[in-house]
Amino acid sequence: MNLIRAELLKLFTTSLWWIFAIVLLPLWGLALGYNWLAANVTLGTEGGDGELAGFGSVESVVSGLYTSGQSAGVLLVVLLGAIMVTGEFFHLTATSTFLTTPRRERVIVAKMIVAVGIAVSVWLLTTVLNLAAAPLALGNLNKPSYLAESFVWQAIGLNGLAFVLWALVGVGAGVLIRSQIGTVITLSVLYVIGTQVLTLIFFALSEYVWEPFMQLRVLVPTLASDLLITGPQLDDDPPRWVGGLILFGYATVTAVIGTLITKRRDIA
Amino acid sequence: MSRPNYAEISVEHLTKQYAKVRAVDDLSFTVNAGRVTGFLGPNGAGKTTALRMILGLVTPTSGTATIGGVRYTDMPDPIRRVGAILEASSAHRGRSARNHLRVICRAAGLPDQRADEVLALVGLNTVGTRKFKGYSLGMKQRLGIAAAMLGDPRVLILDEPTNGLDPEGIRWMRDLLKALAAEGRTVLVSSHLLGEMQQLADDVVIIAAGRLIRQGPVAEVLGATAGMARVRVRTPQAEQFAAALRDEKLEVVATADGTLQVTGADTARVGHLAFTAGVELHELTGEGADLERAFLDLTAGKAGAR
Repeated sequence: MNLIRAELLKLFTTSLWWIFAIVLLPLWGLALGYNWLAANVTLGTEGGDGELAGFGSVESVVSGLYTSGQSAGVLLVVLLGAIMVTGEFFHLTATSTFLTTPRRERVIVAKMIVAVGIAVSVWLLTTVLNLAAAPLALGNLNKPSYLAESFVWQAIGLNGLAFVLWALVGVGAGVLIRSQIGTVITLSVLYVIGTQVLTLIFFALSEYVWEPFMQLRVLVPTLASDLLITGPQLDDDPPRWVGGLILFGYATVTAVIGTLITKRRDIA
Repeated sequence: MSRPNYAEISVEHLTKQYAKVRAVDDLSFTVNAGRVTGFLGPNGAGKTTALRMILGLVTPTSGTATIGGVRYTDMPDPIRRVGAILEASSAHRGRSARNHLRVICRAAGLPDQRADEVLALVGLNTVGTRKFKGYSLGMKQRLGIAAAMLGDPRVLILDEPTNGLDPEGIRWMRDLLKALAAEGRTVLVSSHLLGEMQQLADDVVIIAAGRLIRQGPVAEVLGATAGMARVRVRTPQAEQFAAALRDEKLEVVATADGTLQVTGADTARVGHLAFTAGVELHELTGEGADLERAFLDLTAGKAGAR
């Protein structure tokens, strides 16, 4: 408990958290705008042909509206989780931290708990904003709020789960890579560009090498996360829980290996 | 106030083997309570690595180090037992000194107000809310002391704490460490500045190339290695006094500028001999058996490139 309070104080006594908060809001706004546009196309076309326009089903565009800000929010949470670890080495505070708490695994666990807390906070914030904004956007299209539909609440809940799992992946990646700049670049690139590039690679592999490779693309963390929240997109995609499990696997593996490495590492 | 002297820090056969370098090699020594112990060695001798092993930051290849009979990593509340300063620039640049200390307080379960108390102790209370990046090197060293004193520990371990301090800061640090030892605390302080240690330390542990060269009280180490003190004397009756000194079995060398260099006696004895011989003195200077010379003699040839 003491360590969690210490980690919270560390987080809120530098400028990082409010810079991230300031970045989050406009990105959420952009996401909401995009999702509103998607809803406009899908729901606004008469006769249900809107689904063919490329933005997905009614369910998926409405879920999208209610989980606006997810991609930006998760990216920021991942980076924050990683920087909580790499910052200790970047700013040479690891010595002070591990002198105070020689049982290093406790420090890592405290960081994970705080990162999960941040993830839940960001999820709550964006969810509250979405619950206020999405019905307005839908009303603008003369559509109901869909808040009585269970799929909306399922999307919101799974969105929260994705936030939490990504926070753990962030801390774990920070421990594994350690270099502040290296970690931030690796995670950002993997998260933002990696998804598209890796999808193409898996597509190429399944076309030219072995068809089932396409199904393996859910092993990419960002695609596992997509699967968890939006459900299977192709006919032979695995069910959503597989996505959650894969993401959980990444979180566990990075956390456990990272903690073991941190315990053995010489702090010089 | 002073406690009986007993081994508070005990280092036994400590070894650290890096890929190509044996930084610390079968090092054993003890540090007593109530005294300032100087941990001396040339740059690259393995001082920092040894201290970091004592503090559980670096894992030894073999051997053990205990403080009060317990390994640092086994202590449930290390901050209340051991205070350490390892590097001056070890706080987040964007965090205030006060918040830096409060983070440690929280992690160690100490009340937040301890941060303000130790800031006052080191004279930083008026600049505690300033961000760390605005601190001078001297202020950073003081902040390091403040952090080390948070848990009011009985043992202090300091790695080159006077690095970058101005003469006033060095004197402040020296007086503080002496006062802390006089309260019965154990103070282990590393340095490569030997003159500094001569004025500060009661005991010395000298290492080179990762190995122990000698350990003991400063006076003993000096006496055993560099012979006795040298005294410079200027007198208009040089020849007469030189003869008197030689009668006392002292070694006397007359230098070109008309002074005498006397080996084997301190200034009190030489002054007394001048008085009894009725010799007028114009200068009487103790050149000391300095630790620096002892140290260079001891470590000669052992500090080569590794």
